[in-house]
Amino acid sequence: MKLYDYVLSPSCYKVRLMAALIGVKLEIRPVDFHPGAEHLGPELMALNPAGSIPILEDGDLILTESTAMLAYLAAKAAPEWLGSGAPEETARIQQWLSFSHRLTASLGGARLHEMLLRPGDIAALQAQGIAALRELEAGLVEQGLRGMRFLASDRPTIADIACFPYVALAPDGGILLDPYPAIRLWSRAIRGLDDFIEMPGIHRLHELNPEPQIEPGAA
Amino acid sequence: MRDEWYPVGLFSQLDRNGRNTVLMGEPITVALDAEGAATVTSGSGRALPVRVRYGHVWSSLGNPRKELFAIPEADQPGRRFVDVGVVRVRCSPLRAVENFLDIAHFPFVHTDILGAEPHTEVEEYKVEIRKDEDEVWATQVKFYQPQAAKSANGGITTEYMYRVPAPTCSVLYKTCPPRPGEWDVITLFVQPLAEDLCDVWPWMALFDDATPMADLIHFQQTIFLQDRSILENQIPRLLPLDPGMEIPTRADLTSVAYRRWLKRHNYTYGAQLVAQ
Amino acid sequence: MPARIPAGPIALWRSQAGHAVASADRCPHRGMRLSHGFVRGEALSCIYHGWSYGKTGNCLRIPAHPSLTPPETIRVATHDVEESDGIIWIALGQPAARPPRFEGLVPLRSLTVNANVAAVEAAAGAKADPEGLVSPSQHPQEIRLLLAPQDDQTLIHVLLDDKSSPSRRIAASRTAESLRRMAEDLQAKVQAS
Ligand code: FES
Ligand SMILES: [Fe+2]
Repeated sequence: MKLYDYVLSPSCYKVRLMAALIGVKLEIRPVDFHPGAEHLGPELMALNPAGSIPILEDGDLILTESTAMLAYLAAKAAPEWLGSGAPEETARIQQWLSFSHRLTASLGGARLHEMLLRPGDIAALQAQGIAALRELEAGLVEQGLRGMRFLASDRPTIADIACFPYVALAPDGGILLDPYPAIRLWSRAIRGLDDFIEMPGIHRLHELNPEPQIEPGAA
Repeated sequence: MRDEWYPVGLFSQLDRNGRNTVLMGEPITVALDAEGAATVTSGSGRALPVRVRYGHVWSSLGNPRKELFAIPEADQPGRRFVDVGVVRVRCSPLRAVENFLDIAHFPFVHTDILGAEPHTEVEEYKVEIRKDEDEVWATQVKFYQPQAAKSANGGITTEYMYRVPAPTCSVLYKTCPPRPGEWDVITLFVQPLAEDLCDVWPWMALFDDATPMADLIHFQQTIFLQDRSILENQIPRLLPLDPGMEIPTRADLTSVAYRRWLKRHNYTYGAQLVAQ
Repeated sequence: MPARIPAGPIALWRSQAGHAVASADRCPHRGMRLSHGFVRGEALSCIYHGWSYGKTGNCLRIPAHPSLTPPETIRVATHDVEESDGIIWIALGQPAARPPRFEGLVPLRSLTVNANVAAVEAAAGAKADPEGLVSPSQHPQEIRLLLAPQDDQTLIHVLLDDKSSPSRRIAASRTAESLRRMAEDLQAKVQAS
């Protein structure tokens, strides 16, 4: 499976993270998105006329929507990430998967503007981003009251992976995460999963490793 | 400070329409003229001095008394030049440079790439302000690296030299695994937009024929974006030049020399002078 | 986690043994926010260079110099912390009294409102009682609000009857959301006039 990838793209990171969590090996093909705009060049436009990345290629299957890639990876290697099939859970997964596109537009747009100088109405993007974070916070509070730590159930699903990256990187777009304690706990729960991987802007949870003992003389 | 040279754009990305940007609070336009030469114009229509060097366009709001600093390695055959691209950071341009000079954060911020616990110790190194060139230099800097560069496999002790040839620019020389005896060159060119906002233009001149260009760009962008999340959360945003507000240790001697050098030159754009 | 008190931003953390600690949210080394740091055992470490600080604010370890014992002079300010009935209280200076107890109530959630205390009280249709609790006039049985002013915002801690069922708690959380919306609308109207 080949992923056309950009290290700083939260959508590409969704796919890398999902693959890492379920132990699927991806062949990574780096794309010079910035500054080179390679995603708009002939080779990639032929694969994805929408001119976006990530692109996932597996045989003659070409996927250009990260949500579909998450579903594909999970269905292939770890179907428990698709949910138990209970009606409410199925609905919540779909609800948050759709919601994740709003995060891309708002938080993602603010981040591209503030970090990589892309055009946009930054005040509007940030306001939409904050509205989305409040909605997520409220949803997570309610899940907590139902005794569940994740968006759709008590175990992580593709919905969590679809929402996590843009949320965790909101500060890149000048949007503070300080006011959202439930988001904070949820984010820590995801970062604490076995085989979790980071991307730039999301720090390692150093507390998961023990304090190194001083070895005198060792460099 | 207005008389210094500053990076204002990637030459390879310029066109006739130009790029509107800001230098120290003043709007400027960077463009190509009919002959394909770079021009920089101030908001009031004044033509500003221009240099095209190290992949970037350089300019100044004043009259630079010194020529743009030299990087001899930029003319060395066999190197690949990497335009890493701009990243905006909400911090003082001086904080961005100071962070670039620091190695002690590698294990915590660039975990498993440039450093890793328990290898956190910073051994003694040499720092000087070179009189002839009027530059800050740190040499014999050594640090353990789990993955020193894209072309490095496994952990090694890497040696670095750091150089500050201009207040908002730094050049890093780093051992080059495929070519012992040569140094890879990694630079940080910072364009001050305001005292607490900057555009950062990393650039590299490497001995590496094997790694695809996109990989090299991704590696350096990864490193810099990890730093960005630190830089946007330091308090205060401006760099304190007076001692008392922050506590340096032996590991911070480069930063101590950098601050002293800035103060000596009265370079205060992006600095905080009195402890508040 | 980050929090705010009138004395400035703080890093609020819980040690492995369970102690809640409030440290100033600025590392004395290079000014990095300590609330971005990590907790190992009984110490809070800064994410930038890993300097770690104990519960009383003294610097315990500088990883760049592993064999150095940090001098006493390197420390972060800390504030007294008191936990009662699931609420964390931070004292400015020496507290004269213990924080109030709220018998029969449990905390539900905390939310930040872009409005001042007056606007929140107006939205609730009630003023804070001497203990600092607001009983919204529309929902007197449902929730109590504990308000903490933070510059131009207000932090609302929502409390409710400790015997409330999960579905009542979810309803209470939604009530708090709509109160926030009302308070922010009121504040926007005041500012526009
Ligand atoms: S800034 Fe906190 S350890 Fe350096
Ligand atoms: Fe760094």
